[in-house]
Amino acid sequence: MGSTISSLIGAAEQGDGPATEALFSALHSELHRLAKRELARRGAPVSLSVTTLLHEAYLDMAARDGPSFPDQARFMGYAARVMRGLIIDHARERHAQKRGGLFEITSLDTEVMEKAVDHRELAQISEALDELGKMEPALAEIVDLKFFCGFSFAEIAAMRDVSERTVQRNWEKARIYLHRKIRADLSL
Amino acid sequence: MSTLSPEQWQALSPYLDQALAMTDEERAAWLLSLSEQTPALGAQLRELLDEHRALAQEGFLEQGPVPLPGAPGLAGQTIGAYTLLSQIGQGGMGSVWLAERSDGRFERRVAVKFLNIALIGRGGEERFKREGSILGRLAHPHIAELVDAGVSSAGQPYLVLEHVEGDHIDRYCDQRTLGVEARVRLFLDVLVAVAHAHANLIVHRDLKPSNVLVRNDGQVKLLDFGIAKLLEGEGQDGAATLLTIEGGRAMTPEYAAPEQLRGEPVTTATDVYALGVLLYVLLTGQHPAGTGPHTPADLVKAIVDTEPTRPSDTVAPTRAKAEITTTNATRRATTPEKLSRLLRGDLDTIVAKALKKAPQERYSSVTALGDDLGRYLRNEPISARPDTVAYRAAKFVRRHRTAVALAALAVIAAVAGLVGTLMQARTARAQRDFAFRQLERAEAVNDLNSFLLSDAAPSGKPFTVNELLERARHIVERQHGNDASRVQLLISIGQQYSTQDEDAKARPVIEEAYRISRGLADRSTRAQASCALGNVLSRADDPKRAEALIQEGLRELPNEPQYALDRVFCLLRGSAVARNTGEAQEGIARVQAAQRALKETPFDPEMLRLRVFIDLAEAYREAAQLPEAIHAFEQASVELTALGRDDTQTAGTLLNNWALALSQIGRPLEAERIYRRAIEISRTDQSEQGVSPMLLNNYASTLDDLARLDEASGYAERAYARARQAGDEVVTNQSLLTRARIYRNQHDFARGFAMLDEVEPRLRKDLPPGHHAFGSLLSERSLLELERGDLPAALRLANQAVNAVEAANKAGKAGRNFLPTLYQRRAKVELQAGRPDVAATDVALALNLLQKDLPPPTLSSKSGRAHLLLARVLIAQGKTDEARAAARTAVEHLQRTLGSDHPDTRSARQLAEADAKQK
Repeated sequence: MGSTISSLIGAAEQGDGPATEALFSALHSELHRLAKRELARRGAPVSLSVTTLLHEAYLDMAARDGPSFPDQARFMGYAARVMRGLIIDHARERHAQKRGGLFEITSLDTEVMEKAVDHRELAQISEALDELGKMEPALAEIVDLKFFCGFSFAEIAAMRDVSERTVQRNWEKARIYLHRKIRADLSL
Repeated sequence: MSTLSPEQWQALSPYLDQALAMTDEERAAWLLSLSEQTPALGAQLRELLDEHRALAQEGFLEQGPVPLPGAPGLAGQTIGAYTLLSQIGQGGMGSVWLAERSDGRFERRVAVKFLNIALIGRGGEERFKREGSILGRLAHPHIAELVDAGVSSAGQPYLVLEHVEGDHIDRYCDQRTLGVEARVRLFLDVLVAVAHAHANLIVHRDLKPSNVLVRNDGQVKLLDFGIAKLLEGEGQDGAATLLTIEGGRAMTPEYAAPEQLRGEPVTTATDVYALGVLLYVLLTGQHPAGTGPHTPADLVKAIVDTEPTRPSDTVAPTRAKAEITTTNATRRATTPEKLSRLLRGDLDTIVAKALKKAPQERYSSVTALGDDLGRYLRNEPISARPDTVAYRAAKFVRRHRTAVALAALAVIAAVAGLVGTLMQARTARAQRDFAFRQLERAEAVNDLNSFLLSDAAPSGKPFTVNELLERARHIVERQHGNDASRVQLLISIGQQYSTQDEDAKARPVIEEAYRISRGLADRSTRAQASCALGNVLSRADDPKRAEALIQEGLRELPNEPQYALDRVFCLLRGSAVARNTGEAQEGIARVQAAQRALKETPFDPEMLRLRVFIDLAEAYREAAQLPEAIHAFEQASVELTALGRDDTQTAGTLLNNWALALSQIGRPLEAERIYRRAIEISRTDQSEQGVSPMLLNNYASTLDDLARLDEASGYAERAYARARQAGDEVVTNQSLLTRARIYRNQHDFARGFAMLDEVEPRLRKDLPPGHHAFGSLLSERSLLELERGDLPAALRLANQAVNAVEAANKAGKAGRNFLPTLYQRRAKVELQAGRPDVAATDVALALNLLQKDLPPPTLSSKSGRAHLLLARVLIAQGKTDEARAAARTAVEHLQRTLGSDHPDTRSARQLAEADAKQK
């Protein structure tokens, strides 16, 4: 599995469409599996943040895969996008079930979720983000990392080896785009 | 509002980049001129930028749908006296909620922090609450108050904290583009708060920007004091906590000190290091390990091994990092070149000293760090020196002479005896004993503690106690602080000297404290000074004045709970005075009174409680009330374990003295196990270098008792070699006597005699005539003569031995413990000489004394051996029935205390059974 991810990332970066699809689906199941494992390891009342999960996923896969595994920044870009999908799925799930849910470990708090960001709104942000990604993939990635996965500007800056200010500026820019897009969609 | 087409976006994108990089003022001017040139573009951008401002205010997308830990739907629930309002944050440690009091008694809003930890059992819950209450007493305007701590009905631990609205200190500085000097001044506020906590002996352990907030009014507030410690489970070291509990962010333990990553003890020096990192970040905008990305492994390696780049070099402009260095300089209202010049020199040196890998090389205290920064601001010369070649060479040498220096410490001036307490080992290690810091908590809360203790190396470090105290004295002399705090400082310094067995130095310091205290009204200070002086004087042979001072001190203290801790202080010193002057029973009574006084305090000074247990055990042991002593040692040990101090040097000393009491009472099997634990604790790097020679000798003696002679001689020989090397006269003498006994048991008489010939002139030189140790020497000679077959000589020596110790005992010079053994040894010679009736008298004398000390049903190898000897005497007298009964009693005692395979147990069993067969 690990070696697949490594080679899939390579292929995806060459613009291989099916490979990109396969990469996302592999990452999806990998992250899901890890979340379950962590849940089992840490016991029920403890929850795990997304950043932790992603860090562990990286360490886990990089360890299996050896030196050919891409660096953390590249990996996080892909993984964060997958995470976005998982989180939205989960929000939807929670909305439907109110209780329980398959993804206990991230245990999204339904009530707070509804107050903060509705899952439908999340889906809209996600769509807008996909649009933005087509034009400015780096900007979209920052939103994935920051908004969906909870990384700080400092962490993202460290990953990309740019200043924190640059990250913040890009994020602000992306936010303008997203807001505009969502507002426009709503008023349709 | 219209959506933007990709083309429109592409066209606007570069302008947005530009605009977002500007300040509001710059942007307004820029928009104005742009609108003049291209009105349409200007209008579009203005709309987008207005939207940007609105979004920023609204915090659009700032609260991510990040997973929230804990039970879902907590809003509206009550936790203790608080109703949760809304979630305001979440992190690796857990979620944080805004809450207000449910009963409406206060208008106050608080933050409730749920911790993501599984508390282990009921003990864990109690410990959590207890620790929480200690932290709750930490009151300081720059420290966010811990209002309450508890465990929710769902079993999740939580803390109720003062709600602070503010920004992380680094962001605060950046947003206000504070210059270097303003940053240093703000940082000094942080230091004041940390110093206050250290004076209360609480270490933060997790200082980082997110725990250092600055409110809009510029007030610094520190969060989460000591919470990292709360998060440590039993038996879990700090490194594990950092790496696992903190979750995502802890995967990058950016502010962790090397010792935390190595799992070594955390001290105030750990906070000094984290503050160094924080200062580095504030000054340069970058982490000392350089810019990321860091894998956790890289970061750990960098923290533990790599010397950080000097701050001035970090901010210096280079082509590769042009963007970062310019941004960082701009945020400090300067240019990269100027920033680099500002940092070069003093600030480089100060930061480097705070960031030393070895805790004892850092600033000795947070206050010392603050002092240097203050000097920097005032343009005075700072105390820290840049590393020079000479410094690095000295460092190398120091590393390699640790062993020698450690051994050199073990000098003791106390009475040379047949048994050794770990007095000197206790002193030798006290300063690098983590528990010790805590012991001082209730005694003298002041800078000296953190000053002294933060310099304390966690393990096997070279010896600087006296240097340290010397420095402390100079500081006190120069200080113009108030007199009460000077008295406290002087008392602390004096006590440290006493602990080092440097009474000659302790006395003038404490005399000075006492003198100053007479001019003060504060009762606590006056009482403490009196009692501390009394303690020192009792060791300097001025018992009358010593006792008078203790009484004076106790009279000073009103019978109110607020003086309870002072009373404990005085009673413990009073107990020491009584014991030093031979009033063993009074010594015990005073510790017991201290124990009662401790119950009156509104605090729960657990380390002080432990100390009272230890003192009680020692008092009993010194009064030869061994069963009581052993009981108290057991309690102390339980307490120590409960406090998680099992592997400290206090534990090592406690175990040694406990084992010693066990071996004195005649339970060597148990003593052996406990000695072994004591050795394990002080062993470093698989070598015995850290183990006190006295402990080695004590262990050898117990192994000899258990007839494990080969091991015994190995330990005794190493104890001897180490004691010689260290110039430790007492242990050298003790180990020579131990070796003589072991060699005799190995039937190597020549070596046995050689040992005695070596030790005799040494004892004559060190001890006053008439000391009971000479009796021991004579007795050993007697037994060797007996083994060699020179009966008359053996008998003569045995008589001399008994006479010497009896005389010493009458003169009040102790040795009573040794009398039963001496009578038995003489009986052995008499029996051999064919005089069973005389032997019977001696055995009776021995049994009589033993029964007083160890009344049945106390099992003891001493009683066992006496009965074995009695059985032999009775056989020689032809009283076989009585002999069989005596042998059976011997078996009972010996089986449990020496084991069934021990030669003495087997002999006793044979006598009991052989007789039965004859019947």
